[in-house]
Amino acid sequence: MPPLGLPIYGQTSGSLEARRWRTLEERERGPQDPPPGEFPENAQEAPGGFTRRSFLQVLGASAALAGLEACQPPREKLIPYVRPPEAVTPSVPSAYATATSDRGYALGLVVTSWEGRPTKVEGNPDHPASLGAADAVRQALVLDLYDPRRLAGFRRGRRDLSWTTALAELSALARGHEKDQGARLRFLVEPTSSPTLADLRRRILERFPRARFDAWSALGDREAREGARIAFGRPLEAVLALADADVVLSLESDFLAVVGDHLRHARVFAARREPGKLNRLYVAEAGYTVTGGSADHRFRMRSQEVLPFARAVAAELAKAQGLEKLAPLGAAAGADRARLAAAVAKDLSRARGRSLVVAGAGQPAAVHALAAAMNDALGNAGKTVAYREPAVFDPSGEGTGLSALAREIAAGGVDTLVVTAWNPLYTAPADVPLRTLLAKVKSSIVLAYRDDETVRAATFRLARAHLLESWGDLRARDGRATVIQPLISPLKESATEVDLLAAFVGMGDRGTYRIVKDGWRARLGFGPPPPPTAGSAAAGNPVDSNKATPPDPFERAWEEALAAGLVKEARPASPVVTATVDAGRVAQALGAARPEPAGLEARFVLDYGVEDGRGYENAWLQELPDPVTKLTWENAAMLSPQTAKRLGIASGDRIELSRGGRSVAAPALVVPGHADDSVTLPLGYGQKVHGAVGGGAGFDAYALRTSDALAFGSGLQVTRTGDRGELAITQGHFGMAGRAIALALDAEELPKAKAELDEHRGAEATILGQVDYSGQDYRWGMAIDLSRCIGCAACTLACQAENNIPVVGKKQVIRSREMHWLRVDRYFEGGAEDPKSVSQPLACVHCEMAPCEYVCPVNATVHSDEGLNEMVYNRCVGTRYCSNNCPYKVRRFNWFDWHGTLEPIVKMHWNPDVTVRARGVMEKCTYCIQRIERARIGARVAGRKIGPDEVVPACAQACPAEAIVFGNLNDPASKVSHLHADERRYDLLHELGTRPRTAYLVRVRNPNPELA
Amino acid sequence: MSTAPKTLEEVDALEGSPVLVGRPDDRALSESLLEPVLGPTRKGWLMLVGALLVGVSYWIVSLIFTLFLGIGTWGNNIPVAWAYDITNFVWWIGIGHAGTLISAILLLFQQRWRTSINRFAEAMTLFAVAMAGLYPIIHLGRPWLFWWLIPYPATTQVWPNFKSALPWDVFAISTYGTVSVLFWYLGLIPDLATARDVAKTRARRIVYGILSFGWRGSARHWQHYRIGYLLLAGLSTPLVVSVHTIVSFDFAISQLPGWHTTIFPPYFVAGAIFSGFAMVMTLMIPARRAFGYQQVVTPRHLENMAKVMLATGLMVSYGYVMEHFIAWYSANGNEQFAFLNRWTGDYKWIWYMQLFCNVLTPQVFWFRWARRSEVVLFVASILINVGMWAERFVIIAVSLTRDFVPSSWANYYPTWVDWGLLIGSISMFGLLFVLFLRFLPAIPIFEVKELRRELEHYGPGVHHQGPAEVAR
Repeated sequence: MPPLGLPIYGQTSGSLEARRWRTLEERERGPQDPPPGEFPENAQEAPGGFTRRSFLQVLGASAALAGLEACQPPREKLIPYVRPPEAVTPSVPSAYATATSDRGYALGLVVTSWEGRPTKVEGNPDHPASLGAADAVRQALVLDLYDPRRLAGFRRGRRDLSWTTALAELSALARGHEKDQGARLRFLVEPTSSPTLADLRRRILERFPRARFDAWSALGDREAREGARIAFGRPLEAVLALADADVVLSLESDFLAVVGDHLRHARVFAARREPGKLNRLYVAEAGYTVTGGSADHRFRMRSQEVLPFARAVAAELAKAQGLEKLAPLGAAAGADRARLAAAVAKDLSRARGRSLVVAGAGQPAAVHALAAAMNDALGNAGKTVAYREPAVFDPSGEGTGLSALAREIAAGGVDTLVVTAWNPLYTAPADVPLRTLLAKVKSSIVLAYRDDETVRAATFRLARAHLLESWGDLRARDGRATVIQPLISPLKESATEVDLLAAFVGMGDRGTYRIVKDGWRARLGFGPPPPPTAGSAAAGNPVDSNKATPPDPFERAWEEALAAGLVKEARPASPVVTATVDAGRVAQALGAARPEPAGLEARFVLDYGVEDGRGYENAWLQELPDPVTKLTWENAAMLSPQTAKRLGIASGDRIELSRGGRSVAAPALVVPGHADDSVTLPLGYGQKVHGAVGGGAGFDAYALRTSDALAFGSGLQVTRTGDRGELAITQGHFGMAGRAIALALDAEELPKAKAELDEHRGAEATILGQVDYSGQDYRWGMAIDLSRCIGCAACTLACQAENNIPVVGKKQVIRSREMHWLRVDRYFEGGAEDPKSVSQPLACVHCEMAPCEYVCPVNATVHSDEGLNEMVYNRCVGTRYCSNNCPYKVRRFNWFDWHGTLEPIVKMHWNPDVTVRARGVMEKCTYCIQRIERARIGARVAGRKIGPDEVVPACAQACPAEAIVFGNLNDPASKVSHLHADERRYDLLHELGTRPRTAYLVRVRNPNPELA
Repeated sequence: MSTAPKTLEEVDALEGSPVLVGRPDDRALSESLLEPVLGPTRKGWLMLVGALLVGVSYWIVSLIFTLFLGIGTWGNNIPVAWAYDITNFVWWIGIGHAGTLISAILLLFQQRWRTSINRFAEAMTLFAVAMAGLYPIIHLGRPWLFWWLIPYPATTQVWPNFKSALPWDVFAISTYGTVSVLFWYLGLIPDLATARDVAKTRARRIVYGILSFGWRGSARHWQHYRIGYLLLAGLSTPLVVSVHTIVSFDFAISQLPGWHTTIFPPYFVAGAIFSGFAMVMTLMIPARRAFGYQQVVTPRHLENMAKVMLATGLMVSYGYVMEHFIAWYSANGNEQFAFLNRWTGDYKWIWYMQLFCNVLTPQVFWFRWARRSEVVLFVASILINVGMWAERFVIIAVSLTRDFVPSSWANYYPTWVDWGLLIGSISMFGLLFVLFLRFLPAIPIFEVKELRRELEHYGPGVHHQGPAEVAR
């Protein structure tokens, strides 16, 4: 294997160093000074007194503190296993808690690491925003880490700089701004809740009082905060308590998959989707979303019709339900909508204090204000929705600042612009000419992970360290903080945002680790660390020293915070506040709302995979089928069947979209259930500066997006170009062809459906002898509750990351060769205009009478004693007969050598527990057999049986809705046994007699009888 | 029936044209039938070889892509994991059936008209089986491990899975290939000796001498030859039925709608004979012209083959009807959908083409003029070959495109490599055949001589009598 170019960390002096070598080349040449910038922080100042003994001390200590070893490095270094530490068993992975930013807030993660190599991102069960789940976007983080095309190093103009030089030049630049108090210094950042960054910003503003931070993100929560400002007079964060909400009205809010604590929302929402506990969800939206797919009633309307609809509901609440407070806010709607509004209002009112109105991030502030007013009137405030002080800073300036900044630059008022926001030149509204303006700034300093348009335009670029390489911190929406800890030392020379901002207050050389840690020492109220008892070297290097140091009480708190992924603070940072709605202001805002213009509406939404475009170079996200359309590798202009018909467009046609003199060519995609006269344009694609993965795929919806229509706007023109292209859609058939595949019933039908469901479960008559598994200790099985499943595809990505599943690219997806072991099928029921939807995760169901097994000529797929349908890759010759005979078509074939051309660094993301499959062999879901075996080893060592729910496959672990449950069917106490005995249980294609081990639970809908 | 001798004209009127035109003597027969082998190389032949070599190069390039990059170079996918590969395989295997049927079964039934075409048909069988045998190997994901399908005492103690039809295929095809080679070669020996005897150059005498295994035509030789040939005919006869039956099991034992059909064995065998005769016809009509075989391959032969095609074509049509009937009768929605999909799905044009070629085309053979017209026969036989290929494609690939769970449905589109393996294998087959025509006696000379003697001895119409009657 060629050298991976991994930096190995350690100190550069002492007898140990003389014996240590990094590569064979170096060993031959003899030790050399590290090249400048090899180590991110301070490495040039080699400390003395680092001995073998202290080295082993550190290793021993880190090993002993299981789960903590990365938290206590000597200085800022992570210690690799130059000498294997005795207490760490190679091949046993460890997990570390960290967090990632989701719209500025923390989303707690647990990352699995194999001897210092992170491979898998999972949710932190203790974190309020995760509860153990992780969505596809977060899980794909690890692939970014090993991107061979990420930026490395620091560069000003055409000069490559070392970190020390870069720091020196940044400091000089900063000093230059002191004379006018930073009047010509601007920062373009992303909204964040990081206390460390908050401190740094404060210190920067202390030094440069006239400098300014502008927050910008493509589709943030600015309207929500502005709405709160209208309703309550200040920007508050609405935190949903869906567990207590019996009736939910979503005004185009995708709260189950995108906004807010969507993973927590999905968890508690799904828990209410079981018979007996059913809530009812109404969704008013234009484009089909994950939340819309989970709705009991989905009202298809253009985005701009949501506000009138909300007012109609308010009017009904006031008129028919006696909520007089809402009378000035309501406005009657047309007869059609009025009927819906009346029914919704009645239902909401029936559940006063147990209902909830949620406004979508893309909806204007007035809708958010109206939702707040309705929740207030319904008595929901404080019950199903809590208002908190936002932990993100400048919560309302986000978005508006960008135009102001552009004006300043145009006026020549900015000398230095520091950009840490993701690629603002690409994401900026089309009417903000940032692209041309950036050239007017004398020094544009850009911190970025990959090459992009902003990096190309910058005069000074710094490579950004990956999240899994960085220290940092973030707060959750409830104010609780998480310290971000690195899993690996930076693979490429890079800096963090903390490093960059610290350089402006002369702290650049302190390093992120110390800045973060010292910040928390102060925040948690601990004093400075006790001085070492003796020695000058020890003073500069307290941990590395072999001199005794008195115990530091903060260290314990710090380590606990790192291990748990949550900091224990005495006082919550974002307390729940009681806020009163100012109905007058809300009415005023509603009155000021623009009237509904006619014509085609353009809607701008985040892509479920690449988000605002930052996932563009991530192959996992690119190949992840969109939860609704199942489109991969590009975006498409989505429109309803009726609108498509009117315009003479079919899926795959290239159309010319123009709006306000700007135009872009895009493929069209007809989506059932989309609102008429509205076109949804997912953002994030069509990037001009791209790598091999993105490859320029898709169209740039930002080109049509103006400041006055960040989420939607009218005036879209669509013309056909006459061209056609093929879309890489993984599911070409959205109907079930009248077959019982993904079953969904209304709640009231369920008790009567027993006879019907009995046809899909139980023993099927057969002349074949059946294997008796009752004598086995374990009989593995799975249950998938369609009622809980929201179709978000987190499971697909979890499976991909866990099982080393390759990506195949757009051409191969078009050829139906995608490799996902677990796919989420989406079916539409009812007419194409306004269908209901069911999502059905489908992987190998591990049939007891597996059709694949008897047709394999070489016994490459066989049954285990515990009932697993096993695939023996070594034995497979690739006849593919098993796939032909698999009625579920869940087997995947290696048509090519998918792995052979991967660069060595990319291979680092592989899970060493799972075989990487060669060309020409079949593969499929194994029920995460590696996790079963790991649990078996643990149980054997402990001399016990594997617990009933001890084994959690990757899909079940990631699922935010807990829809997938795995366990031992021979243990009546296991969750899966209960679910297999559930009244809603059925077997997919039961009539074939395959006796699948994966059972499905019927989806239950809870429609309002008044709307039947 | 009266044993009174009939005149040639009477016989002709009753039985169609003779199986041998005129009564040429042995020397004339040897000369005329060995002329293509011993005569000078013709320009047309060289041009044909050149054209076929172009196709063969395409085939070789396609094979190299397949073997070095993987079968991803094909259009196959999930769900259509078998497409052109297995379609071509079944098609070639089917074509091979005519040879064995003509050589073995018609021999046992003492059909004299088989005499002049049997070697031709056997060679075709051999080359078709060679082409067919290639596909199961190259279609593997890891073709270098094909031998794992063979039961051998491996140290791993892992045996093939005998429940799967694919190891049966290995046995069926390898047995069939072996017996076909033996049968063909055994029949060639006396004629190779003839070629040796009349060859004009020393090199040819040596080569044909070696190939003829020292045949001298002694009575003992003939006796052994007769026994061996009959035994091999006896061995081959069940193979005619078994090979395609087993090939049909590849599909019938699965549970895929469109594959899971008990009628497959007889239906496949009938289809195989149907396509095999069509291929013999396709090759024989031009060869007969080019090499002047009209004397020994008479309209009588062509007419008889047309009748076989009509009969097997009707059997195949019956198979189509029965498949649809059973799909309806089964009351199984998936099964019904699979057959409805043939009529209305994305590949319906291939299905209509199949119906036209396989059901309608052979109906012209009800007419005597059509059976005797070379043009009609040639066009019809090509249509039948196309139709039988389409039939296999519809069964194999189209069934796979629409199975149980609609979310996994997807279509199949061939790539240039798929076409290369189809067109290239046809070229390779053609090349082998053209080489065979040039270097080996394509018409069994000694059998024709024997036939002539029999006809002389017993007079025309004698083939209506059984051996017992003749003895009496």
